[in-house]
Parts: sequence; C-alpha cells; structure tokens
Amino acid sequence: MNGTSQADRGSRLRLTLGFTGVLLLAACASTPPAPLSNLQAAQQAIAVAERGEAARYAPGELSESHTKLALADTAIAERKMVVAEHLADESRAEAELASAKTSAAKANAVNDEMKRSNSTLVDEMKRSSGDKP
Amino acid sequence: MNTTKYRDVILHRTLIATTVASILLTAACTTAPVKPDGAAEARVKLTQLQSDPNLASRAAVAIQDAEAAVRAAEQPEVNKELAAHRVYLADRKVDTAKALAETRFAEDQRPELTAQRDRARLNARTDEADAAKGQAAAARAEGAEQKAAADRARLDATTAQLAAASSDQQAAELQRQIDVLQAKPTDRGLVLTLGDVLFTTGRADLKPGATGNLSKLVAFLDKYPDRTVAIQGYTDSVGSEDYNQWLSERRADSVKSYLIEQGISSIRLAASGKGRSDPVADNDSAAGRQQNRRVEVIISNPPTALR
Repeated sequence: MNGTSQADRGSRLRLTLGFTGVLLLAACASTPPAPLSNLQAAQQAIAVAERGEAARYAPGELSESHTKLALADTAIAERKMVVAEHLADESRAEAELASAKTSAAKANAVNDEMKRSNSTLVDEMKRSSGDKP
Repeated sequence: MNTTKYRDVILHRTLIATTVASILLTAACTTAPVKPDGAAEARVKLTQLQSDPNLASRAAVAIQDAEAAVRAAEQPEVNKELAAHRVYLADRKVDTAKALAETRFAEDQRPELTAQRDRARLNARTDEADAAKGQAAAARAEGAEQKAAADRARLDATTAQLAAASSDQQAAELQRQIDVLQAKPTDRGLVLTLGDVLFTTGRADLKPGATGNLSKLVAFLDKYPDRTVAIQGYTDSVGSEDYNQWLSERRADSVKSYLIEQGISSIRLAASGKGRSDPVADNDSAAGRQQNRRVEVIISNPPTALR
C-alpha cells in the first residue's frame, strides 16, 4: 500500500516538473508572425534618408541601418521573429538618425557659408580701407 | 505513526524539488531585475539636450519621443536582448532629437546672419564711397570725371542705406528715380550738381546739347509735382566778386529758364547766385576751380515722401 502510493507520487512529481518547464519555456519562446510592417517602415526610413543625401552626410548611420535590415531578414529566415522585429525597429531608428544628422549637417553648412562670406566681406573692407590714405 | 511521518517527509521533499526546479527553469530565461546597461548613458545625453537653452525648446516632439524611449530603456528587464534593444532605440532617438533641434537652431539663426551680412555690405559700400572720395581729393588734378565717380559711389552707399532702412515700395521707386537722376540725398534735399560743362567760360547761356542731365531732372519733377527746386549758381574765385555774383545768378537763371521751357511751373523754381562762396574744392588749381564753377539744383524733401 505504502510502496504503491510512493510510486504514484514520484510520477506525479515528474509530471508537475515537466508541465512547469513547458509553461515557462513557452513564456519566453513564442513564435509570432514575421514583422512585415516593421520591415516596411525601416525600408521607408532608409529611402527617405537616401533621398536626403544621407550617404554623403551620415554614411556611418546609413550603412548601420542597412546592416540591421539585412540582419532582420536573416532572423526571419531563421524564424527568430522577435529578434527580427527588434532589428527592423533598430534599422528604422538608425535611418531616422541618419536623416536628422543629414539635415543638421546641411543646415550648419549653409550657416557656415553665410558666416564665412560675412567675415570675408569684413576682411575685405578692412584691407581696402587700410590700403587707402 | 511511522507511515504518516514518512509521508510528510516525502511531501516536504516534493515541495522543495518543485521549488528548486521552478527556480532553475526560470533562471534559464531570466536574471535578477536591474537597470539595463547603457540606459544611464542615454539618460545623461537626454538631460544634456533638455538643459541646453539653444536646443531644448526646439524639436519638442522628437525630444518627447526620446524621453519615452529612455524611460522604456530604464525599466528593469530580465530579457537581456530586449533590454539592449530598448537601450539602442533610446540612444538613437536622443541623438535624432538632438540633430533635429540643431537643425532648427541653425535655421533660426539665419535672419541674424542675413542682417549681419547686410550691415557688412553697407559698411563696405560706405567705406568704398569714403575711399573714392579720398581718391578724388588726392587726384583732383584729374578733374571732374573722378568727382563724378566719387559721387556715384557715395550715391551707391546712400542707396544701400535707404534700401536697408526700408523695404517700402514707394521709397524703392523714389530711389530708382534718384538713381536715374544721379542726385545726392542730403539734409537740404536731393542735390544735383551740374558741372561747368554746361556753360562756355564767361557765358551764362546753356551750351546746346549739354542738357542730358537736365532732361532727367525734368522727368523727375514731372513725376513728383509736390517738390520745389532751388537753383544755386556758384563760381570760382577768378575775377571780381561782383562779376562772379552776377555770373552765378545768370547761370542759375539759365537753368531756371530751361526748366520753365520744359513745362515746369515757375512757382516751383527759385534761382539764386552764390558767387564764389561755399567752394567745394581748392581754387588754387585749375581742376579745383573747375569743380567750383557749378550749378546746384536742390530738390526739396517733402516730409512724407522720404522716410
């Protein structure tokens, strides 16, 4: 009677352990569908950055964005959808950063040119008034 | 009694084993909850941006976005991959907000830069005019040609001043008219200096064909009928004072008669002779004397037309 009840408890214990394990594993390894809209958003952000001449003004960020997007594609092929979604979002953030840096660089270039021409004007003025009696 | 005790021990062990197994399995995908690596650095960058007086008020939406991303990154997260992802996004969003704010800041500085450029240009022209004036004085021997150049340069400077002072359309049109006339705006009014090329030496009548500038004056007076004109004759110091006084009056009268012939009402015209007074150049040289022999046409400033 005692022996039987012990064996029963042993198998119940194994069952409990197995079930708990499955539940916990499921909690951190679900497989959602491919993050297509995130990929699309990243591609769009890259296109915007490229139209704004990011290749010239923020080449590092732009190439990082391309790399992340390629990694996202690879992750999808490997069915790692969560990783793929994160990579796509990172690609998009990187492309948006490239665009922002590009506009900042362009705006500063315009201002620098204005400052340069202003100081040239002032210099020329000083020189010409210095030459005259 | 024994059986019950044994059962208790078994139950106890089962509980411990289950707990340990659960902890082990949980540990397989979690670690102790702490603030993710890199979140603090993102927060520092964001705080710098938010406390920069030049940038904080610009790109408000992007800065809000960055704030939300940093807050998400700061959440304790047991999943390392997710934590790193959030930190990455926060870092990029802070940088993006900063770049956008810098863009706005640069754009907002442009009006001031433009104003600086205009001021520098104006100064350059005024200097140019002064330089031309100095040159004209030094090389007076070269005569009226250079004086005209200096006048033109000074006029350019005045034009620039007027243009900078007002974008008013009326002022612009008037300016164009003054440009055509090559008159000099002064406190007394617009001064148009007619050189002695208009007259033969010792004679008071206008040379035929020397009326080009006068016809521009007529056109100007037609366009601005509320302006009156003072015509003043001047001579050099050669000859007696009486003669010079008489000659300067006759020459001023000649110009007045010409204007009346061209249809300008005599009520608007006052002619007078100033003789050898108020020389504009040295009477010791021929070139200086040539500059002193002149007729000045002073067009009154109506109080409202010139701002």
